[in-house]
Amino acid sequence: MAINLQKGQKIDLGLSKMTVGLGWNPNEGTGYDFDLDVSAIMIDENRFVPQDEFFVFYNNVDSPDTAVHHTGDDPSGGNSDGGDDESINVDLTKVDPKIQEILFVVTIHEAQPRRQNFGQVRDSYIRIIDELTGSEVCKYELGEDFSIETAVEFGRLYRRAGAWKFEASGVGYKEDLAFFLSKYFKGQIIK
Amino acid sequence: MRLLNYTTMAINLVKGQTIDLRKNDKGESFDLSSVTIGLGWDVKQSGGGGFLGKLFGGGEEAEYDLDAIAFLLDKNGRVVDRGRSFQKPNGNTVSLYEGDVIYFNSMRHPSGNIWLTGDNRTGAGDGDDEQIIVKLDSLDPKFDRILFIVAIYQGRKNNQHFGMVDNAFIRAVDNHGKEIAKFSLSGDSTYNGMCSMTFAEVYRKDGTWKFRAIGEPHTTDNFLEILKQY
Repeated sequence: MAINLQKGQKIDLGLSKMTVGLGWNPNEGTGYDFDLDVSAIMIDENRFVPQDEFFVFYNNVDSPDTAVHHTGDDPSGGNSDGGDDESINVDLTKVDPKIQEILFVVTIHEAQPRRQNFGQVRDSYIRIIDELTGSEVCKYELGEDFSIETAVEFGRLYRRAGAWKFEASGVGYKEDLAFFLSKYFKGQIIK
Repeated sequence: MRLLNYTTMAINLVKGQTIDLRKNDKGESFDLSSVTIGLGWDVKQSGGGGFLGKLFGGGEEAEYDLDAIAFLLDKNGRVVDRGRSFQKPNGNTVSLYEGDVIYFNSMRHPSGNIWLTGDNRTGAGDGDDEQIIVKLDSLDPKFDRILFIVAIYQGRKNNQHFGMVDNAFIRAVDNHGKEIAKFSLSGDSTYNGMCSMTFAEVYRKDGTWKFRAIGEPHTTDNFLEILKQY
């Protein structure tokens, strides 16, 4: 049974392999495509991305420890009809020991110049799937909760006493991917 | 002292740590079987800064001479072959000749797979004024990474920096002529006082080549200073 997440809710996943799936329907009206992106920010104990490859997104699909893999960019939502259009596969057994937390965010690419927000995108969601059984562990419907926002902090996996836990954040912003990244990355960000 | 501190800080801040969030058009990937690094800038306008020029320079103002440079690095991040040195008939010494550094005195790599199309000393002409072309798919496997640098020739001596050169840019273009990255070096205060920049690198990963924009500015006008790290 899928859990529809509450903000701040903590859940014991009890999983080591999971997929974070993002799905949405293509823009059937006029105007630009809806280009939603899911990204993973891998953070060390100093609350920073230790090196740029630990930021997994459409331009860098694998983390150096091979624990996190992005299946590739979908610029329109056309990859799947009703299913996940972009996915991030996570194998927690492989995560580099220096990584303490993996933050998942969903953003709309070029939302500001295209004047878009989640409220316009049909049937958008982000969810976690147990990779072994294929069953849905938890899910957010983005369009309902974040109608005027353009960026959502979905949740974070974090180490606690040797085990991994998941905390749903569910916080929306009128921001972009660089906004999240700049909190955890000391280097230069090219937008 | 301030200048030195600033340099150190700038290097620590961005060295090797750049994330490019831009997408390729329609999610297409670039064809990196060859890559062209293009450098362009405008000819110095006569009379620009003429008062000080006449006052101190006796009316002889140096042109802006920007140079594109490439370092071929091995797996350990080193420039292994530093070529040879010889003396030209006019007495000037040429170093790094026919080594793994491509620059105005050694324009073609002995392998023939990377070359500088010419040494433009004024910026005359539209579009790219200097280009470095690399046939990445033909490059010897011992080369793991290529670093591209732009520098203002004798910029320090001539009191020149990127902030004063008009319409200066450095860009990378793929095999089909599609622009991968472009840095505008003019009109951005980041480049005030800067005479060189580590522009970008291409590197091997999982059997293919990847491009990474770096955009790290340096105060030095001499790429040999940058070469010391490699």
